[in-house]
Amino acid sequence: MLKLSLGSPSQNCRGISRRHALRLGSCGLIGGMTLPRLIELQAKAAGPKGPKAKSCIFLFLEGGPPHQDMWDPKPDAPAEIRGPFQAIRTNVPGTFVTDQLPLCATMADKYTILRNHGHNDNGHSTGYHYVMTGRRASFADGDNPIPNNEFYPSFGSAVSRSLGAQGSLPPYINLPHPMQGGGPGFYGAEHAPFVIEADPSQPDFDVKDLQPPMGLSAARLGLRKRLLAGLDTLERQHQQATGQAMTTYYEKAYQLVASQAARRAFDIHSEPEKVRDAYGRTQLGQCALLARRLVEAGCRFVGVDAPGWDVHFNCFPSLKTDLIPYADQAFSALVTDLDQRGLLDETLVIMMGEMGRTPRINAQAGRDHWSMAQTIVFAGGGTIPGQVIGATDKHASATIGAPVGVNDLLRTISVLMGIDPDRSYLSPLGRPVPIVDGGQVIPGLI
Amino acid sequence: MNRYSRPYILNVCTVIALTISGGLVSIAGELHVSPSTIALEQPEASQQLIIWGSGSDNRRIDVTRTATLRVEPPHVASVDERGLVRPLANGSATLLISVGELRTSIAISVTRLDNPKKISFRHEIIPILTKSRCNSGGCHGKAEGQNGFKLSIFGFDAQADFDSIVSASRGRRVALASPINSLLIQKATALIPHGGAEALLPDSQRERRLVRWVAEGAHYQSEDIQSQDAPVAEIISIEVEPHEQVLLAAETQQLRVSTVNSLGQRQCVTSECEFESNAASIAHVDARGLIQASSIPGEAAILVRHLGHVTTCRITLPRLGQTIERPIEHNFIDTLAWAKLQVLGIQPSPICDDATFLRRVSLDVIGTLPTVDQAKSFLNDPATNKRQRLIDDLLERNEYADYWTMKWLDILRADALTISPQGAVAMQRWLHRCFAENRAYDDWSSELLTVQGNTSAEGPGSFYKVLNKPDEAARSVSQLLLGVRIECAQCHHHPSERWSQSDYVALAGFFTGLSLKKLPNGEQALISRGGKDLPHPRSGELVPASVLGGKAADFSNVTDRRQVFAAWLTEKQNPFFAKAIANRMWAHYFGRGLIEPIDDIRETNPATNPALLTALANHMRDLDYDLKAFTRSLLNSRVYQSSSRTLPSNADDEQNFSHYLQKPLKAEVLLDAINQSADVVEDFNGWPTGYRAIQVWDNHMPSYFFRIFGRPVRATVCECERSDEPSIAQALHLLNAPELFQKLSHRHGRSRRLSNSNLAPTEVIDELYLSTLSRMPNSAERDLMLHAFTELDRRAATEDVLWSLMNSKEFLFNH
Repeated sequence: MLKLSLGSPSQNCRGISRRHALRLGSCGLIGGMTLPRLIELQAKAAGPKGPKAKSCIFLFLEGGPPHQDMWDPKPDAPAEIRGPFQAIRTNVPGTFVTDQLPLCATMADKYTILRNHGHNDNGHSTGYHYVMTGRRASFADGDNPIPNNEFYPSFGSAVSRSLGAQGSLPPYINLPHPMQGGGPGFYGAEHAPFVIEADPSQPDFDVKDLQPPMGLSAARLGLRKRLLAGLDTLERQHQQATGQAMTTYYEKAYQLVASQAARRAFDIHSEPEKVRDAYGRTQLGQCALLARRLVEAGCRFVGVDAPGWDVHFNCFPSLKTDLIPYADQAFSALVTDLDQRGLLDETLVIMMGEMGRTPRINAQAGRDHWSMAQTIVFAGGGTIPGQVIGATDKHASATIGAPVGVNDLLRTISVLMGIDPDRSYLSPLGRPVPIVDGGQVIPGLI
Repeated sequence: MNRYSRPYILNVCTVIALTISGGLVSIAGELHVSPSTIALEQPEASQQLIIWGSGSDNRRIDVTRTATLRVEPPHVASVDERGLVRPLANGSATLLISVGELRTSIAISVTRLDNPKKISFRHEIIPILTKSRCNSGGCHGKAEGQNGFKLSIFGFDAQADFDSIVSASRGRRVALASPINSLLIQKATALIPHGGAEALLPDSQRERRLVRWVAEGAHYQSEDIQSQDAPVAEIISIEVEPHEQVLLAAETQQLRVSTVNSLGQRQCVTSECEFESNAASIAHVDARGLIQASSIPGEAAILVRHLGHVTTCRITLPRLGQTIERPIEHNFIDTLAWAKLQVLGIQPSPICDDATFLRRVSLDVIGTLPTVDQAKSFLNDPATNKRQRLIDDLLERNEYADYWTMKWLDILRADALTISPQGAVAMQRWLHRCFAENRAYDDWSSELLTVQGNTSAEGPGSFYKVLNKPDEAARSVSQLLLGVRIECAQCHHHPSERWSQSDYVALAGFFTGLSLKKLPNGEQALISRGGKDLPHPRSGELVPASVLGGKAADFSNVTDRRQVFAAWLTEKQNPFFAKAIANRMWAHYFGRGLIEPIDDIRETNPATNPALLTALANHMRDLDYDLKAFTRSLLNSRVYQSSSRTLPSNADDEQNFSHYLQKPLKAEVLLDAINQSADVVEDFNGWPTGYRAIQVWDNHMPSYFFRIFGRPVRATVCECERSDEPSIAQALHLLNAPELFQKLSHRHGRSRRLSNSNLAPTEVIDELYLSTLSRMPNSAERDLMLHAFTELDRRAATEDVLWSLMNSKEFLFNH
């Protein structure tokens, strides 16, 4: 059975490690291969100039990152709200973050901080479902199956269906394990994420089933391929459409196996040590680096699941030593790296979780779930950098004015990527389900 | 229905040829016009004509768009190129119609243009909102509306829509003093910015009707006003003409739709209703009801919808110039299937060979590959009735109960997380017993419906742990046992059926009074006490419990309301129950339901072969719901035994069973097949050695293989939940997975045994073929595989031959 080392498991508030569950139930669905409707959709959604973002890297801090301890400091609030971290200046005059984000503080002109995101789903799996699909979960929060979006497709699946693959890489990839709300829903397996079921920070990192088993000689590999091709020729003349579809997937699989580009993209070991160090030798850091390699090779939507943010108990030591520094390093290195490679304009980077955390520090020196306010950070992909959008009140407890909702976020990503957010696909019952359920483009971001 | 009533005939017995959509078709004899006279009484009224003649093949041929049409005098009415007549001025006129040498005419009368009947919001404005898609789900019809303006989806709640337009937002949407400047109209015609762009053309018939409605005071219905008109009679149905039509490739056919009110009056609403094809690749329909046939033979149903009423027109596209050789008939199924194929001009494929039949029927009946020995003995058996005997043998195998239990655990939603492992086991044992003992389906369905008691004891009680709300139970039971999907009617009138919110609530009334009681040992018992009628979600009035399409149920003498439902379900006259299970069984064996999706039986979703489905449902009743006997009839039919190889005339056919439809193996079946072919035993996480995948009731048992091959999550009662879509992850796994490699090279496995044996390479290859594909290789295949033995050592060659066979489409599919 699969048992992969995926870094330190996170205990969430229910006392059960959901990562543990993930490790047992590791899922590796796969990205779709629909022919791109690229040109039509890009033209339709983005007007004559075309869309900015060719791909999106979605860093998901699962568990709920504390916005006030990171991007939305409240230095004037009482200590039980403010917490132990100090506000520091960034290189954008007037913009402050906490002192736990020293690297990001030096480059705030490269990204935009949106402080007025909020919704009112306080559950982990339900909130994850909401953020990934734009639809309220119809199940109770808890140990839900993975993926938990049984009906509504995740946004990554919508990207897969709308834009299709470019090159040999699948259009929608999850790492280092499936995202809980990241399934294809009614779109079907074709649009499920291709899941890299392995941790790129491990020395023996490799992609599952991408290479033939160890020890097979070149002679055997060559022979196997010839036998299969021979069988295929013999049986092809009487294949029906379903069999032909499977043949197509075999061809895609062979392409992926044979693709130098894919192999190079997955081969994080070939990255210079200096670059790997810059991202941080952490799971999140190396996932961010691998994500960059994947979008360079043509992947459209890379979802990185970074667990461990459900900090109910004695949160500040772990935030200070493990969580925030890793995120600080990964995000700043990713944005800088993309910028230096000239890819930032066409790559949208988003970092967020399913919710923020309570303003008041609780009796166990932790912070609890708080979906009323969260900060989202955006970089590249046609977003206007160097801004702060929106604000929360003096205790970081509520957004000032109406919050930017999940569907505003998804609509914005959709428009940036040249996907018509109002395009509908028919559910199995024949009901048209639009990609994005309402919302409006976030004012000032684009 | 009085379609084609009283056609006016002028010229008879003339034969002319005319060009229709590029093809040359002759019509002979009479020219028919429908309707026979036209009376228009409103400025925005319209009347669709259909003009037709008889073709040489005695088909009705629509010549409306090739006819020359002229109104005399022309100032009274206009007629467009599609045969839509509109009024211009009060008066009488004649519509002169000519098609080649054939001529006819009909009378037109236009009255009351200066004093028309007042417009009814309910009957005339709602269709405009629907046709212009204002109230669609992507627009103002979605639950929260759009930009502050909310309409009910498809206009099912006319009163709410009226309030939304006339009263909401302080009445800013209508301007009685200046109708044309009403926000509603200005927005709809995009004269001021509108997110939905131009939904209505300025000065169109629909816009003028809206303007007049506002000018008349924007009333809900015309009896609100002092008027000389009688109250608006209720619309009781809609009619479409023609009701069915045979078209040839690329032909077109205009539809004509009328409402029928309670006084029997008809009014043309062709330009106001909605059309939808269930098979647009065969016949496409446009917004005005013009059907365009493609070149793919087959059948399509055109759904027509107006104000909650639905009807259909069935289009058949035969393949021409085919001489069909009817294969022999084993039973009634063949008679009806061949009859249908003959009409369509599709030749059935020949009968499959013995090896294919053996593998097919084994995978279909018991979810298990034949062993090498079984394959050898079947192939060498000279008996002529060996297929029939095989079917009988398979139905008595243990795996039959295992496999069908697995299938029903999926659709009974035996999700071990939701109903607890004890509940799943209780359900699994009960189902296993039902199948092993071949209990009658109506009997165990009744038990499923009316179960009470400990949900952890063998039985189906945990079904109600999932369906813990009356309406959820009602819609799941309806979909599962009746094949009727009513969940749409939870929130709004079903868009393509007659089911309303009242029907939904009435059905839910049977499932009230149920509760789960905690037992001293911590387990739960399902108990039923009393029950009550439920309120209508909008009006709040109590709706008496009733079965679909039935009267208020009588609950005297019962304590459990479900018993009344169960009695109705299994009575002979029930229109759904036998049909639903017959269609479900058919779909399992034939790869596709006669009605598809299999649990969406409704008038507007007709069976591809209605006579066959009716016969199967009757057969099921005659057999007293003996599922094994029914299965025997299906499998012994010649139709089931058709080859999956297509012929030129049936390669496009997906719905008429002219050839066997290939099916991907289900995740569990495939895993068992791999293990059996490799001759290894797989240990499932937490299960005793020796269990096979189809026996594992725990749908959460972690398995990468099950995930990627689409094991269902058991969240719905729909078989559609099981995904059989191929993916690259599947291909990668079969090509490269170390797990598969270990099975192929297992020291007690088949490859090792064969490579250590004294068998000649050709004999090794033969056994590998028999173990995977249940057949002997042909000479080309044997030659191909012998390359392995010349190039590699014997062990590697054996493994790689087996590997390539497991990666062949022939292995991955049931064909």
